[in-house]
Amino acid sequence: MIQLYHVKKKYPGDPPVLDDITLRIDKGEFVWLTGPSGAGKSTLLRLLFCAEQPSSGQILIGGRNVGRIHRSAIPQLRRNIGVVFQDFKLLENRTVLDNVGYALEVLGASDAEIRLRARKRLDQVGLAHKATSLPRRLSGGEQQRVAIARALVNEPTILLADEPTGNLDPSLTDSTLQLLFDANARGTTVVVATHDRGLLQRWHRRTVGLERGKLVFDA
Amino acid sequence: MIAHVVWRLWRRAASNLLRAPLLSLVSVLTIGFALFIGTAFVLGLFTARTLLASWGADATLTLYLDPATTDSQARSVYQQASARGDVVVQYVDPGTALQRLRADLGEMGSALEGLSKNPLPPSLEIRPKQSLAAPAMRVLAAELGQLPNVRDVEYGREWVDKLEALGGGMRVFGAGALLAVLLAALLVVANTIRLAVYARRDEIEIMKLVGATDSYVRAPFLMEGALQGLLGASVAVGSVFAVQHWLLPRLEQAFAFAAGVAPPQMLPVHAAALLAFGAIVGLLGSWLAVGRFLKA
Repeated sequence: MIQLYHVKKKYPGDPPVLDDITLRIDKGEFVWLTGPSGAGKSTLLRLLFCAEQPSSGQILIGGRNVGRIHRSAIPQLRRNIGVVFQDFKLLENRTVLDNVGYALEVLGASDAEIRLRARKRLDQVGLAHKATSLPRRLSGGEQQRVAIARALVNEPTILLADEPTGNLDPSLTDSTLQLLFDANARGTTVVVATHDRGLLQRWHRRTVGLERGKLVFDA
Repeated sequence: MIAHVVWRLWRRAASNLLRAPLLSLVSVLTIGFALFIGTAFVLGLFTARTLLASWGADATLTLYLDPATTDSQARSVYQQASARGDVVVQYVDPGTALQRLRADLGEMGSALEGLSKNPLPPSLEIRPKQSLAAPAMRVLAAELGQLPNVRDVEYGREWVDKLEALGGGMRVFGAGALLAVLLAALLVVANTIRLAVYARRDEIEIMKLVGATDSYVRAPFLMEGALQGLLGASVAVGSVFAVQHWLLPRLEQAFAFAAGVAPPQMLPVHAAALLAFGAIVGLLGSWLAVGRFLKA
């Protein structure tokens, strides 16, 4: 599903953020991507959803070399990848339902279909009763669940999460991660970047370790 | 599918316009003002050209004949000039010319009493049947100057040349001013949309994150720009109509020198063209603003 071959990312004047990363993630896997701050976790995720291009090496997503696809083909690729961020990235002036439905709008779905599918996702994350609320009326945990619902609403084959519990109270961490495990159980390939070793100890899954841009372990 | 997506994008453009009402209002009014100035200028230009043409149409030529010309020779010249068919000719004998001069001088006309003989030559006053532009007037004067016994041709050459230069200057100035107005309107829309794009950069980031194409991101902004241009043009059309129907009739006295020259009226087709023009300017301005942002 995801293959990286000798991937390097370097910005002019700085040491490489990622250096010679070779990695394979199969369809339906759940992978922790871990390492200290500055290890290159977020950069690796950004390369996977084409926010940036690698300096060298190859990245294949579903067999397509994302380093070589034309800029105009990136949206099509992203429709197959859900992304969750630490800071949620919700639209403050749109309702929860609109935020979740946003990913369906760009696909050209009808208003009725958007409402139906967005409500269904909100129901899955336990927030159907907050559909008409604005994000600022929600707690941090609820906002992250809305972001996860948005990432999953068009049923992507890959879900990338960058420190999804980083801004949440420990009490909300497990319920949020459970949503990611549920998606994985439905067949979605999930990659979660975290520096929280406690999560890795509580939830045993394949763990890829990065340090100063290098892959230091894969267990 | 296309129809409901387009409808959704229009709704979004309209709601975005209303979401920042003050900014939108300033933009619409500025575009309206720029287009109003441009339209008023064009209409003023047409009026001025009509006025110039009407003054040009009043231009007459005077053929001064040699003082020794006999009456029959003068009649012969008169007949040759009349035979052209494109001019109306009037013969003025020396006696009539002196009477006119005396009348023109008024109280000072008595000064002419001391003349031992009439110094004025016979002349032909020639008026083109159709108004002529300056170059045609020059050709006519040259042709009539070739007639026998014609000593001089007077047609207000300097005045005609000045009118011609003025008309040319107005065309150049008009084109430059229109270009400036167009650029100003374009920049106003581009800057307004740039502010809107900047204010909604998070939204754009999320749109792109969930797989929106550049066209899909750009579309609501282009529509918003077109709406602003359209509304601005509506303000301009309304203002021009208001000026034509309320202000100009009250200023007739001030424009008495232009009596008989009707100012060009803005017809519905002109208004429709201005609305379309406003929408296109808005669209182009947005295209500039969003294009830069998406490239960045």
